[in-house]
Amino acid sequence: MSEITRRTALRAAAGILAVPALVERVGAQQAFDWKRFKGEKVEASLTANPRSSLLIKHQQEFEDLTGIRVGAEQIPEQQHRQKFAIEFASGRPSFDVVGISLHVNKRQVGRAKWCVDIKPLIQDASLTAPDFDFADFGKGAVAYSTQADGRMDTLPEFTDYFILYYNKDLLAAKNVAVPKTFEELYTAAKALTDPSKQQYGFVGRGLRNANVVLWTSFLLGTQQRDTVSPDMKLLTDTPDAIWAGQMYQKLMRDCAPPGSIGFNWNECQTTFMQGRAAFWIDGVGFAAPLEDKTRSRVAGKVGYAVVPAGPAHHHCCLFGTGLGISEQSRNRGPAWYYVQWAVNKTNQLRFLTSGAGAPARSSPFRNEEAIKASSFPREFFDTLVESANIARPGLPEIVPVTEFRDTIGTALTNMVGGADPAAELKRATEAFRPVLEQSERGT
Amino acid sequence: MDNSAAALPGGTAVAAGGGRRRNYARRYGWFIVPAGAVVLAVILFPWAFTLFMSAHDWKIGGGRVYVGFENYRKLFTDERFLWSVVRTLYYTVLAVILPMIFGTVAALVFHRRFPLRGLARTVFILPMMATPVAVALVWTMMFHPQLGVLNWLLTQVGLPPSMWVYDARTVIPTLVIVEVWHWTPLVMLIVLGGLASLPVDPYEAAKIDGASAWQAFRHITLPLLMPFIVVALIIRTIDALKAFDTIYVITQGGPGTSSETINIFLYLQGFAYYNMGYASAVVVVFFALIVSLAALLLWTRNRVKDA
Amino acid sequence: MRLLERVGFALAVLVLVSPAALVFLWMLSLSLKTELDNTAWPPVFIPNPPVWDNFAAVFARNDFLLYTWNSIIVSFSATALAILIGVPAGYGIAKMRATRAAMVILIARITPGLSYLIPLFLLFQWLGLTGTLTPIVITHLVITVPIVVWVMISFFEGLPGELEEAALVDGATIWQAFRHVAFPLARPGITVATILSFIFSWNNFIFAVVLAGRETRTLPVAVNNMLTFEQISWGPLAAAALLVTLPVLLLTLLAQKQIIAGLTTGGVKGG
Repeated sequence: MSEITRRTALRAAAGILAVPALVERVGAQQAFDWKRFKGEKVEASLTANPRSSLLIKHQQEFEDLTGIRVGAEQIPEQQHRQKFAIEFASGRPSFDVVGISLHVNKRQVGRAKWCVDIKPLIQDASLTAPDFDFADFGKGAVAYSTQADGRMDTLPEFTDYFILYYNKDLLAAKNVAVPKTFEELYTAAKALTDPSKQQYGFVGRGLRNANVVLWTSFLLGTQQRDTVSPDMKLLTDTPDAIWAGQMYQKLMRDCAPPGSIGFNWNECQTTFMQGRAAFWIDGVGFAAPLEDKTRSRVAGKVGYAVVPAGPAHHHCCLFGTGLGISEQSRNRGPAWYYVQWAVNKTNQLRFLTSGAGAPARSSPFRNEEAIKASSFPREFFDTLVESANIARPGLPEIVPVTEFRDTIGTALTNMVGGADPAAELKRATEAFRPVLEQSERGT
Repeated sequence: MDNSAAALPGGTAVAAGGGRRRNYARRYGWFIVPAGAVVLAVILFPWAFTLFMSAHDWKIGGGRVYVGFENYRKLFTDERFLWSVVRTLYYTVLAVILPMIFGTVAALVFHRRFPLRGLARTVFILPMMATPVAVALVWTMMFHPQLGVLNWLLTQVGLPPSMWVYDARTVIPTLVIVEVWHWTPLVMLIVLGGLASLPVDPYEAAKIDGASAWQAFRHITLPLLMPFIVVALIIRTIDALKAFDTIYVITQGGPGTSSETINIFLYLQGFAYYNMGYASAVVVVFFALIVSLAALLLWTRNRVKDA
Repeated sequence: MRLLERVGFALAVLVLVSPAALVFLWMLSLSLKTELDNTAWPPVFIPNPPVWDNFAAVFARNDFLLYTWNSIIVSFSATALAILIGVPAGYGIAKMRATRAAMVILIARITPGLSYLIPLFLLFQWLGLTGTLTPIVITHLVITVPIVVWVMISFFEGLPGELEEAALVDGATIWQAFRHVAFPLARPGITVATILSFIFSWNNFIFAVVLAGRETRTLPVAVNNMLTFEQISWGPLAAAALLVTLPVLLLTLLAQKQIIAGLTTGGVKGG
């Protein structure tokens, strides 16, 4: 008797302390109801990409399901990161749900504790749909969303792997096989480069900041693999790092179109879609328009493969996005409902089949029917699954990621212009070291 | 500037009017108060805040630490910042001289009457009015090395294709091209206003004396135009120093850092690296730079006027 | 000789006008072609046939009409307020020949726009005004007020003082002299000031980027956001760019006589 009373009292106390939207529980747990927050509003701030476009397109589905009104928008990546950081810092962000690029902002968001810990929300059966199936999320994705102190402050939305796109026709014309190592890639690309015909063996990012992830793709194949050691020491001027820089320089100077020094993913994508490049290494999330006949000259001729192996390891870059709920949000219930819906099995399947990226859940990959119906070939999905097995973060988990990418990125761009990789990397490392040290001391 | 006095007939009237005018002088101050108040409110507060922040090390997402002059000291030894100053001056010199020349020539051309002048003039000033961001995006498409129309034009006239904004050596001149395209009309309008205000007599006298068109230009037109040219010069210099939208949209300071001007550097420090304190110090130094240059030009203007 | 001179002159006009015309024409061409045509080599110049899909895509994907409305409200308000306080200010400064006051207002023009942003953003957050258009209008005053004041100073300096003198002699206060004598004469100048102030407020990008929320965004920000993650969609991008800049271009076309006449008038009486 007294035990029940104590339990009730504790629950009541917890209920009172909890967010106002939660109803006080007495005795039994309340059943989950999608319409619980009917009539309320939720604001979502997303990065501009195909996945966000899908979410916004199907928003009505959520509104019909829950009766919650959604105000969602998508902003270009760079601006989005700047905007939400400023809004969080001001203490009163205008959004409830935010899409976070974990490879850039994970540490920053975690340290400042801008988002709520999602684990308690998942465990709360009254707020989480019974078919949520948390186990469906890939282990790697969940680990990526979890901070060093155990808080999971974002729910994984999707993961981006770097893969090797290749032009089947161009390869077949010269009888070139799909390369398995980076050295083979260089040889193949060189063989397929013919500037007089405006044909190039390789296209890749040269633009400062954006290009770092191409370089880390090469670095992941080396013995050291990472750019920063576990004890936060920079490893960007080591022999392995220099080897990766030389590989980057070789491919960009000898096999890439002139002007690629300023290319970001979209210029590379345009070049590849025009059939002017044989190989392209970049994120799998950019595949969507490649098979669109109205936009792409290479629709139906694109090959998808795992990135080649390096001298010591075989990895592909891993990046990820998660959805977070703002700590300051006064609509936590509706926000959590939106997040659940956004990463439910239907939406995640949509991501996969439209070539918008690799969903964080594993079930879409097993959905044979949807995969067959997609405009993407079997090879694409196989590559995704294989890449997931060898994926490793392509950017260090530090706070000043943008500055890191700018500093190293400048060195890489200079290399494309002909500078010596060793000298450039040493200089960039020296320039960035104090920044990293200061950030680790933590203000 | 002061020709209301010259326009008044008679000396005594001037004296009487002058006396009354002097009494009113203080009352005219009230006319300025509303505008002054708004400007001070919207400018003074941010300035105070900026100065305050520049003495701190404040990162968004972190705490605030007082550091005194540390930010300024770091700034003057920051290679990246110093290079951005050099690039800004390089960009500014080009982005001021070229529009001045083209704008003055254009003004001279448009001063003459010719059929369809109105239409031509309107088309000529359109670039100045167009939304910079929108036009910059179009220029970006035109600059594409393989698919852009500008390289096609170059190959048509037998020139090799250029790397435009994709090469560290050509990026700043390329950005200057966009700036020149955008702002030459402003110079043209200012100088045109000056040309329209020129008195006819000196020219008639010169013609009677047998002076050639070039001599008339050098000794009559140019000196009388000087005040207007200087105004255009000052406005152009300030705007060129602060140029942001175009560079941000087209290159974001790249390739590498080769088009990173002070303003872009400032933006990155504040909004990409979240170093608000450091960025504030940059603002102060940047402002000092602009003010010094503007003051220099104004001093020149006053000297020219008094001459 | 005359013929050569005229041909040379015509050529000069052509050279001066073509860069302006060609860029706008290319923008138009890009917006009316399909994606395949836009990325073709050699470039396709005349759309054949012209497709309206790009424009349709622009309206379908964003709240483009909302942003247009926002831009209109912001620019009109900022301009109206600037005229209200700027014209008297210009008059006062011209009469007092207070170049130092003009300097203070010039500081607004000189200061890099970015330095206003964070402090003002934090202030508006604290006041609870974010999510409305008010902060954007107020920050735009930093742009519009200096323009209006600057134009009106030169204009009023160029006005002969006789008529006002006469009014003052007749016993009018300086305010009445301003309202009934100087102000009506100032119409050309005010027109110029209004047009220029509206245009520069419309074109402003950097303030709205930070201060605007989802529903209070202005057009330049919207068009920059069109750089999606799929690819550079050249067609829709050009269409959006054209739509954003069309109002100010039309305004220029309609009001070009006033702009040029206004500046010229000020010049005749000044200097």
